[in-house]
Amino acid sequence: MALALDVKGLTKDYRSPVKEPGLWGGVKALFDRRYKDTRAVDAVSFQIEEGELVGFLGANGAGKTTTLKMLAGLLTPTSGTALALGHVPWKREAAFQRRLSLVMGQRTQLWWELPALETLRLNQSIYDIPEKEFRRSLDELVDMLDLGEHLSVPVKKLSLGERMRAELAAALLHRPRLLLLDEPTIGLDVIMQKKVREFVRGYNRRTGAAILLTSHNMTDVTELCRRVIVIERGRLLYDGPLDALVARYADHKILRARFTGPIDPAKLAALGNVTSSDENRAALQVPRERVAASAAALLRDFPVADLDVEEVDIDDIVRRLFGGA
Amino acid sequence: MIRELRRHWRFWLITASLSMQAQLTYRLGSVGFLIGKAIRLVFFFAFVVAVFDHVQTVAGYSLMETALFFLTFNIVDMVAQIFFRGVYNARRTVSEGDFDFYLIQPVSPLLRMVCSSVDMLDVVTLIPVLVMTVLVLQRLPPLGFEHGLIYAALTANAVVLVFAIHVAVAALTVRTQELENAIWIYRDVMFMGRFPVDVYAAPVRWALTFGLPIAVMTSFPAKAFLGRLSPAWIGYAFGLSAVVLGASLAFWRASVARYTSSSS
Amino acid sequence: MRKYLRAYAIALQETLQRRSTLLMDRLGGFAIVLSLYSFWNVLLGDKTSFLGYTRPEMLTYVLIISILRSFVFTGRGWQLVQEISSGKISSYLVRPLSYHGYALALDLAQKTVHVGSSALEIGLLIFIARGGVFIPRDPAAWALFFAAALMASLIFFFLEFAVSTLAFWTSESGGPLFCFELFLQFAAGAFFPLDVLPEQLRRLLSFTPFPYMVYFPARVLLQKVAPAEAVRLLGAESAWLVAATAVAVAAWSRGLRSYAAEGG
Repeated sequence: MALALDVKGLTKDYRSPVKEPGLWGGVKALFDRRYKDTRAVDAVSFQIEEGELVGFLGANGAGKTTTLKMLAGLLTPTSGTALALGHVPWKREAAFQRRLSLVMGQRTQLWWELPALETLRLNQSIYDIPEKEFRRSLDELVDMLDLGEHLSVPVKKLSLGERMRAELAAALLHRPRLLLLDEPTIGLDVIMQKKVREFVRGYNRRTGAAILLTSHNMTDVTELCRRVIVIERGRLLYDGPLDALVARYADHKILRARFTGPIDPAKLAALGNVTSSDENRAALQVPRERVAASAAALLRDFPVADLDVEEVDIDDIVRRLFGGA
Repeated sequence: MIRELRRHWRFWLITASLSMQAQLTYRLGSVGFLIGKAIRLVFFFAFVVAVFDHVQTVAGYSLMETALFFLTFNIVDMVAQIFFRGVYNARRTVSEGDFDFYLIQPVSPLLRMVCSSVDMLDVVTLIPVLVMTVLVLQRLPPLGFEHGLIYAALTANAVVLVFAIHVAVAALTVRTQELENAIWIYRDVMFMGRFPVDVYAAPVRWALTFGLPIAVMTSFPAKAFLGRLSPAWIGYAFGLSAVVLGASLAFWRASVARYTSSSS
Repeated sequence: MRKYLRAYAIALQETLQRRSTLLMDRLGGFAIVLSLYSFWNVLLGDKTSFLGYTRPEMLTYVLIISILRSFVFTGRGWQLVQEISSGKISSYLVRPLSYHGYALALDLAQKTVHVGSSALEIGLLIFIARGGVFIPRDPAAWALFFAAALMASLIFFFLEFAVSTLAFWTSESGGPLFCFELFLQFAAGAFFPLDVLPEQLRRLLSFTPFPYMVYFPARVLLQKVAPAEAVRLLGAESAWLVAATAVAVAAWSRGLRSYAAEGG
């Protein structure tokens, strides 16, 4: 299969002015401005095939948005190369732009005072979409996004969820082959999040477009992406299946026990990492290879009424590792 | 090429109609701005007329001639306000991320930044100004058809110059992301164009002719019509526009290149 | 009191931080003042006085316009409009802070920087202008001028505040505010001495607070108002100040009530 994205050694440095605090600092900055360089993205390489849906993870400030902006052609890297759909993104060739879309959860391209349909009409002229194709694309998006009457109401009167769906319609009208999604579910309620997720998955399956998605909402990632790329402080930390990532970090299981009488917490701690306990309940985190032995010891030495062995929650791992909400 | 032009033309028509629709949703605000602009026009005109109650000529110009200068200034200024309105929102366009959309979509970001909002209110105020200009032109001693032609050509040339300045301001905003009032400074300096350039002392006159060419934009067309501008100066006006336009387009390109290699 | 001083200090820093904005603001102000002076200069021609102003007096009038543009016409109206329509106003309302006091502190910081830096353009203009500048010897003239200017500044602040309060009821209050400010600048004499206007119009204006903004302080400093008359007019000005404050406070509290009723 052809590559939708081919990124090699992508690096980006930012310069930012430094201001000393206080009035005198302000006066000084009038005449002498100092800068410092920060490396936001550091030699990141990866490839994404057409039709793939990949999650892009990292804590705040890890360099996700900077990377997406470079891939969309908004930023020129300090060094490194990237090919998106066979084009160098930051040359911003029309042929590339016609096949790309970038959706940022906190930004909108919709005209605030007017119905979203007007922005769609504008995008029709921007992307030079013939009327027949526009109609077909529109009907399909209205149907999939459940937009119905919302397109003919001024955008400022829409709820956040309705606006986000209209936003997606505006971004996908020209049927991009590469879709970069930055926090598409931010601020939405649980039901809307689910709708947007279902739509993204459906769009990916139906059109075979490559999608790279960042999100702080781990459910987005665990439900949509089989493959994830993780960056930390600008560096690539992991690139591979989500399952394997979980297996690598989920080397523990949880033993959950209910007791018939009081127990000695110190004795319990000898068996594993106690994550919660009260008078007659406890949860223990135990390394995989010692699960059987610990469970046996528990049954032998404590007045156990009930015992469960559980897998660690995937969301929980990802959230803990990458500092999500 | 032709196809691209046609596409951009279609795009512009649609954005123009959208911005008019958006403006119509703010009726009270629009009326306020309209009245404000009318006040400015009427007050200034009344001021010029009132001044001529006390003097015969200003810098050698009669009332009608001074009125022509003032009206020409207003035509150039209003055309700029109507068509290059987008620059007034340039900082917001950049800081709220709309500019990012301009950059990733296949329509010239420059066109979108400078021309994509059209101010219908100024169309309403432009019409009386044009009518008054025709009335004033009729009352001036006729100097022949070619003077009228040159007047029109120099006025168009002035619009090109104003466009170049707006492009430069847009570029500056993209570059610094903080000059929210760069365009207002232009408007303040443009204030000097309300009067014939001859009222200014020599150094100022030179600055307005060769530095920030406000004289070329506002005084030259009227002077040419009155037969007080030599062919050499007319040539200078057209040459200047070409050079300034080239320079500001280059500055725009450089600023966009820098934007896409810095910022966050 | 301490918190307002703190707000003042922070706003002062912020204004200084925007160095290019500040510089260009001054440039724009200078352009306006220079063109006004040049125009009057031409009108004066070889005459010793025009409309009762000698050349040095006219220069002083223009310099006063320059200072008072910085000192009087810099309110917080646009800021207030924006904070009301974006809902940011709520974050002030929950704090133990008078919004008027806070806005006044910020305004004062802005005025400090702008008046301070307008010394630059005043020096430049005095240097350029020929014929000298009129400086009153009588300390009473100075005292009356400062009193008049200070009250003018407060009147403007509260009037603008009152007009901006419209934002509580409509999202389009920018239009009326724009209209108000333009009208005010003309009616105050910030473009030309009101002497140029026909007698009836001038009498009409004397029943409004507007001439107190620029025209009155300027004439006081030029010693063109008899002392007794000056004191009487100062009394009238303070009455206007009381009225403007009352209107602003009333509009504010009514606005807040409707804001609260609609839940922001």
